[in-house]
Amino acid sequence: MIRKLTDAFGAESARQYLPFATLVVLVLSVGIAQPTFLEPATLLQLASDTAVLFILATGVTFVIMLGGIDLSLQSMASLATVVVAITTTRLGYGSFVLALAIGAVAGLLAGLVHVRLRIPSFIATLAIGGVLFSTALVLSQERAITMFETERGYQTWITGSLFGIPNLVLIGLVVLVSAHILQSHTAFGRYSAAIGAGEPAAYASGVKVDRQKVIAHVLSAFFAALAGVILAGRMSGGSPTLAEGLLLLSIAAVVVGGTAITGGVGSIWRTLVGALIISVVRIGMTFLGVNIFAQNIVFGAVLIIAVTITIDRSKIPIVK
Amino acid sequence: MNVRRTLALQLIDVEKRFPGVHALKNVSIDIMPSEVVGLIGENGAGKSTLMKILSGVYKPDSGEIRLGGKPTCFESAADANRHGIGMVFQEQSLLTNISVGENIYLGNEAQFTRLGMVNWKALYAAAARQLATVQVEVDPRTRTSDLDLATRQMVELAKALALEESAEAHLVILLDEPTSVLERAEIEILFARVRALKSRASFIFVSHRLDEVLELSDRIYIMKDGAVVADLPVAEANVTRLHQLMVGRSLQSEYYRESLQKPYRDEVVIEAEDLSLGHAYRGVSFKLHAGEILGIAGVIGAGREELTRTLVGFAPHETGSLRIGGRDCRLRTPAEAVDCGVGYIPRDRRVEGLVLFLSVAANITLANLGMLTRHGLIDRRQEQAIATTWVERLKVKTPSINTLCLNLSGGNQQKVVLAKWLNAESRVLILDHPTRGLDVGAKEEVYELIRAVTAEGVAVILTSDTLEETIGLSHTLLVMRDGTVTYRTDGRPGHKPTQVELIEHMV
Repeated sequence: MIRKLTDAFGAESARQYLPFATLVVLVLSVGIAQPTFLEPATLLQLASDTAVLFILATGVTFVIMLGGIDLSLQSMASLATVVVAITTTRLGYGSFVLALAIGAVAGLLAGLVHVRLRIPSFIATLAIGGVLFSTALVLSQERAITMFETERGYQTWITGSLFGIPNLVLIGLVVLVSAHILQSHTAFGRYSAAIGAGEPAAYASGVKVDRQKVIAHVLSAFFAALAGVILAGRMSGGSPTLAEGLLLLSIAAVVVGGTAITGGVGSIWRTLVGALIISVVRIGMTFLGVNIFAQNIVFGAVLIIAVTITIDRSKIPIVK
Repeated sequence: MNVRRTLALQLIDVEKRFPGVHALKNVSIDIMPSEVVGLIGENGAGKSTLMKILSGVYKPDSGEIRLGGKPTCFESAADANRHGIGMVFQEQSLLTNISVGENIYLGNEAQFTRLGMVNWKALYAAAARQLATVQVEVDPRTRTSDLDLATRQMVELAKALALEESAEAHLVILLDEPTSVLERAEIEILFARVRALKSRASFIFVSHRLDEVLELSDRIYIMKDGAVVADLPVAEANVTRLHQLMVGRSLQSEYYRESLQKPYRDEVVIEAEDLSLGHAYRGVSFKLHAGEILGIAGVIGAGREELTRTLVGFAPHETGSLRIGGRDCRLRTPAEAVDCGVGYIPRDRRVEGLVLFLSVAANITLANLGMLTRHGLIDRRQEQAIATTWVERLKVKTPSINTLCLNLSGGNQQKVVLAKWLNAESRVLILDHPTRGLDVGAKEEVYELIRAVTAEGVAVILTSDTLEETIGLSHTLLVMRDGTVTYRTDGRPGHKPTQVELIEHMV
């Protein structure tokens, strides 16, 4: 097994486990400084706090794998919280379906703008993100909307727990398994990796490149909407700025996990590790009493260090 | 004093190896001041590697470079420039989004700079003087993209000459296939300039056009398989002699496995009638049969590149009809070509042939992943089995089928590309310079594989770097010139046309 792995990855074999090693070291160091951190309850809390970030990061992993980027995910998630908050009274569980459908349509739109009009995904999703953000502002009449007792009844699948395990952790696991299968065991996942690593060769081999790109954008926006639905449940409400700050953290999670921002190399597992690293750093700092406003200093440093050690940049001739 | 002191540039026993390829073997070359030295050889003979060493892009593994008698080592292209090595590349190296003058002094602006500010007036005045020496009447403030290719080539020459002002030694200018984009009249002008400039610089002229090398050079070096095999004064050289030295053997038919060339079948796989595409080609008709190798010969710009791009879905034809396997089609994307059973083996396998950062197995199955998919999931076990079978059948040398293609040698990479299309059950293979950059052993293996797949009924369209290869492999030969087919002939063993016979119709 080990030999198989080293064959598969050659000299990169050690490097790809670095993010996981980093995670273990981080958990242990916070644990040594503050032993309560290692109690099961705290770790479960950590896992459920990571769920939203992980789901967002999973979505954008699909796009990053084939060499693109989705900058609309944070606006999409916020819009989803607003949609859930204002429609649950009327639609009940249907509000979740509506929010996810809006996500899929927004992704489809971003994907089509990207491939049909040949606009870089960077610009296409930035623009669509603006549209989504404004839509959320208009729908919510620029207010935070709080959900009340009857509406919260529909949220128990998010806020509840099963045999002591928070449902959020279980939802995260379902997302992990399904996204992993998509990424690692389907033609779509293989084509994504091929496009990210060598688009001209994939195209010349008959891969329908545009179609894969649109699918990736649909997945990304769908998962962003799912993250929004969950966020609304956790916060018992919706607001056009509820997911603010998560765009950067999501992309950071993907990259810190060891997926190449240029595409071709990566996996959902790496994104999970990346999201956990971000969470541990964030929660760990709170545990250690670091000023909440100073935390971004540490984030910046962790991001740079993680990216430096996970990808061998000496082989990359041009960095933009 | 002694001869060595008078040499402008001297290479002594230069060696260079790449993974899987011994690119330069003990290469020694002398260049006198004011001499034009021709450098010829087949593709893969090592000319490009040698040029890259001289221009500071690669460093030799061992051996010595002497400039004006002094041992020198180039750290980078800029460093080679400082030592007076100028370059005029076949792929033009001018930046098209800046002015001609800026291009001429790109990276050498220091002489016009004071306190960090460039004195543009002085720079453009100097650029105008350089342009005057190559007799190009262009305002140096013109945007480079507004110039035609021939003028740009002259600007490159002016840029190389401008090094004289900052270089420490006698100029040596490398001309790497400078004529490939030029018309005959423009070539005359370029040659006249080079002759006029001999007092100021030595030149190394790399070209695959032997007549031009004979016309311009004082002395000619011939390379083969990474080594210099001969060095002739131009008076002792002629096209036949040079050709023999380049190929290194009298034409040996078994090199191309002619005994394995089986007659093709009656079944027509591709029928093209009156195909045209803009200015690229027009009125092209041919029939391709199962098991047939159709070689297309022609100079650059004759339209054969575009024709092959049409057949693989990159540049759909505009008028005429194309029937593949009896079906009328117009291939708008490579995916459509693949669906019609057409596989493409591109000239640059590292860009369009393989996804280098995917494994051998993933590359082999890439064009036909649907075959391996059950309920939406890839059957990994079957994929491994299929990849293993192809690796064994084509004798791909790889540590494992899960090795990244990046780590394979050129010949083995090419076999993986071939395996991909065989696995996709392609009935037509478009071979676009299939042996480019391969060494002799790898070439022979590729020839053998081509023979083997055609024997099984796969049809092949071949364009190649050398006429010898085209003639040696093909059942049928087409010659193209200026976008039309000017000649077609039979290439059965024993009836193969001579190169001269084809060249007549090429130029």
